[in-house]
Amino acid sequence: MRQITRRRFLEATAKAAAAGLAAPVLAHGWSVLPSAAVEAGYFEREFGISDALCRKILGEALSRGGDFADVFFEHTVSNWIVLEDGKVNRAVSDIALGAGIRTVKGDQVGYGFTQELTESAMITAAGTAATIASGTAGKAVARSIAVKNLDSYPLEKRLSSVPLESKLPLVLDVNEKCFDRSPLVVKVTAQFHDQERRILVVSSDGRRAEDLQPRSYLAAFVVAEKNGRREQFYANLGGRRGFDFYTSADVEEIARKAVDDAVILFDAVQPPAGEIPVVLGPGVTGVLLHEAIGHGMEADFNRKNVSTYATMIGKKVAEPFVTIVDDGTLPHMLGSINIDDEGIPGQRTVLVENGILRSYMHDRISARHYGLEPTGNGRRQSYQHYPVPRMRNTYMEAGPAGVEDVIRRAGNGIYVQDVSNGEVHIGEGDFAFYVSQGRMIENGKLGAPIKDVNIMGNGPRMLRNIILVGNDFEMSRGGMGACGKSGQAVPCGFGQPTCLVKSLTVGGVKS
Amino acid sequence: MMSNELMDLAAWTIKEARGAGADQARVRISSNRAVEVGYRERKPETIKEASTRNLGVEIFAGGRYSSQTTSDLRRNAMRAFIANAVASTKLLAEDPFRTLPDAKFYEGREDRDLGLFDPGHGAFRPEDRHALVKAAEAAALAEGGKDVISVSAQSRDSAAESVMISSNGFQGARKSTSYSLMASMTLQDAGDRRPNGWAYAVTADRKSLPSPKTIGREAAKNTRLLLGAKKLKTETLPVIIVNRMAGWMLNGFLQPLYGRNIDQKQSFLLDKLGKTVGSRHFTLIDDPFIQGGLGSRTFDGDGLTAKKMVLVENGVLRNYYIDWYYSRKLGWEPTTGSPSNLIIPPGSRSVSDIMKDLGRGILLTGFIGGNSNPTTGDTSIGISGRLFEDGVPVQSVAEMNIADNHLKFWERLIEVADDPWIYSSMRMPSLVVDKVVVAGV
Repeated sequence: MRQITRRRFLEATAKAAAAGLAAPVLAHGWSVLPSAAVEAGYFEREFGISDALCRKILGEALSRGGDFADVFFEHTVSNWIVLEDGKVNRAVSDIALGAGIRTVKGDQVGYGFTQELTESAMITAAGTAATIASGTAGKAVARSIAVKNLDSYPLEKRLSSVPLESKLPLVLDVNEKCFDRSPLVVKVTAQFHDQERRILVVSSDGRRAEDLQPRSYLAAFVVAEKNGRREQFYANLGGRRGFDFYTSADVEEIARKAVDDAVILFDAVQPPAGEIPVVLGPGVTGVLLHEAIGHGMEADFNRKNVSTYATMIGKKVAEPFVTIVDDGTLPHMLGSINIDDEGIPGQRTVLVENGILRSYMHDRISARHYGLEPTGNGRRQSYQHYPVPRMRNTYMEAGPAGVEDVIRRAGNGIYVQDVSNGEVHIGEGDFAFYVSQGRMIENGKLGAPIKDVNIMGNGPRMLRNIILVGNDFEMSRGGMGACGKSGQAVPCGFGQPTCLVKSLTVGGVKS
Repeated sequence: MMSNELMDLAAWTIKEARGAGADQARVRISSNRAVEVGYRERKPETIKEASTRNLGVEIFAGGRYSSQTTSDLRRNAMRAFIANAVASTKLLAEDPFRTLPDAKFYEGREDRDLGLFDPGHGAFRPEDRHALVKAAEAAALAEGGKDVISVSAQSRDSAAESVMISSNGFQGARKSTSYSLMASMTLQDAGDRRPNGWAYAVTADRKSLPSPKTIGREAAKNTRLLLGAKKLKTETLPVIIVNRMAGWMLNGFLQPLYGRNIDQKQSFLLDKLGKTVGSRHFTLIDDPFIQGGLGSRTFDGDGLTAKKMVLVENGVLRNYYIDWYYSRKLGWEPTTGSPSNLIIPPGSRSVSDIMKDLGRGILLTGFIGGNSNPTTGDTSIGISGRLFEDGVPVQSVAEMNIADNHLKFWERLIEVADDPWIYSSMRMPSLVVDKVVVAGV
């Protein structure tokens, strides 16, 4: 990036603001930066967080004999603009600022956080964290060395430098295109969201990692009406994207998907109830992998022996054409992270390789438990939480089959096109996902649309029952996906090719 | 921060907002101190403690509206924050319906004590917390039997204060405490199945919290009931949704009651006012005045004075949740924008008596996944529980599904039990629903 002194930068910002060129919604006066690259030293510059201060905080965190400590700083600015009934008449913004201090003793965690980045407040929080240990001797705190940032989501222009005026036409355009698409459309709400999450992690073993994690999406929610009946649907695009990502073709795509998928529901039928073959279409249906195997492979559940996968590493769990990956390095994907919230670089972790279970997803605690390197899966919702192992972008790689073959082989079953949410019970391995859009499959061909049906299965059994994998791998391009665990939500990505599961339990209404 | 400090900061924020060009403003500030202690394998697993303060300001400027929240309360940062907020609000589209409420709706508020604040909270010491959690863990372990893989227990308590003021004269404050205790257990079942069950309670005052022994035993009991679960053949059966799970089913009925859903036509209850939406056993009341109720309040998010409200009366829809903004948009009277405590008045018989009467059915004790479409009422969800025959539980079931439509589901509510679940703002008794298609093999 171009070097610029703080003073010159403030002047430049002031001029831009005076000229009405830059009106960042709710950012501080200084937050319009000239470059999109991750510039180091943000917390030191803006809040005076020096390495010496961090070492003092970490020293306090280890004052009762913890093994390891870290301090996590966060400054996140989030904005939403909302259109309802043709007008962008609502803006919502949030600023989250704080620091969390963690002390680890074996697998025990002490945690304190503060919203005031003052030395005394942080020392108090560190003192709270320290109480997880009950000794006296403090470990030495190493001088920190910067961890390399992968830069998986470089942006042409920072989201916070996009003025509100530029965002308004985008949302108005998606509204207009939805109404143009079908006379059945009666209501449209649309929103644009952008967020910049800045984090800094400094640990007692001398790691210092910093990141700027952008996130944005454009979404439309449509209600259509026909013969007194109403149906709703939605569509969104996004990820770790800049404003320039949203082209006119994307707006078109959102409108087309939201409207067409709402209108088709007037013809939807209730699927049968019971165990039937299920074909998962490409993309967002990867939610199935997230629930069926992803959560069960998070290492905290396994080190505690409470996951159904706790004894399966190295064993065959699926056919040889099944490879499932959790990857934090995919460019601009929603679940990508240059560093995780423990300061470990984002990376690609193979969970299932050609049918063999290979690796759990680790944070620092579980990695030490297993004597392995952490995999960069230590994530947290905010400074108010300590990190736990979490997924990033979870997907199945492409297989050998043609898409039509996959559908034909299903015979009579259902085809899942869009999924709104899912859940898993880790210990039993039972999982569910909610189909918001799909089709009947009759005699190997796509039939009537279906909607609103919960599908259940058991993770290990479902893996064994993946009998055909298509060659049409796709990542979901959505920007709204979030995963909840231990009361914490983090953005996650999903993907997969079309695949056939021999049978799952479909919650239809007809026996 | 004490209430008057919060009040001062709120007043300062309103003044700043008006100074920056806002016509009207409303400010909320909350301050919360929470402590969590978790145990596993008879030692502390997690200790977490912190205080938070959050400020939210709504700005009304030139007929335009925005809403902002921040945890960065440094005064210079706040000044920039408010100035930017007002400036960007002015760039939005004008919205004639967006105003502060007519001040007459603030009137008539009784600042009565709803039992939300436990003055003994200050005396709840770290060693008390540890003792509580240890006892819950020990009770679970004692009751769990030989198949126990893991037991954990957690206590969380907090003390919170909040204030809300508006530039047209609303002023309200609230103090509350909460205590929760949870135990969970994982057992080894056949093959790789490791069922996990739990029990918890949350209350506003410490003395209402059940004993740790009760929570620990309950967690063990609930988990043991999951052992040997099977998927049954798809069948149409009566289902009893146990009290602590009944709120989930009700949630799908609540969202369509909101003014936003009505206005945006995302509601299967649109045009249903005064019409039958359930059986005569379905009565639903929003009651903000329950002593110690987790949703109790004297005013709502708009500052409207709280009132008891009947939503559904013997199956007939009587009211919606209409906040100030959507009341203007729809041209209706406002009610309140969000639920306080929700109750379905309890029936007279116990779950076991009802089971005897029904003979064969499913006692539904767990949900998984699922969702509900507010526009159409279609809903579908995974379930687990116990099959009962001749009134006696005979088999655990899991990995099954139910699918329905709310407009048909509540019509088949044939009884409610006598056991309201009080550890939630939704104080539901167990619900008995007839003729549910339970999908399995």
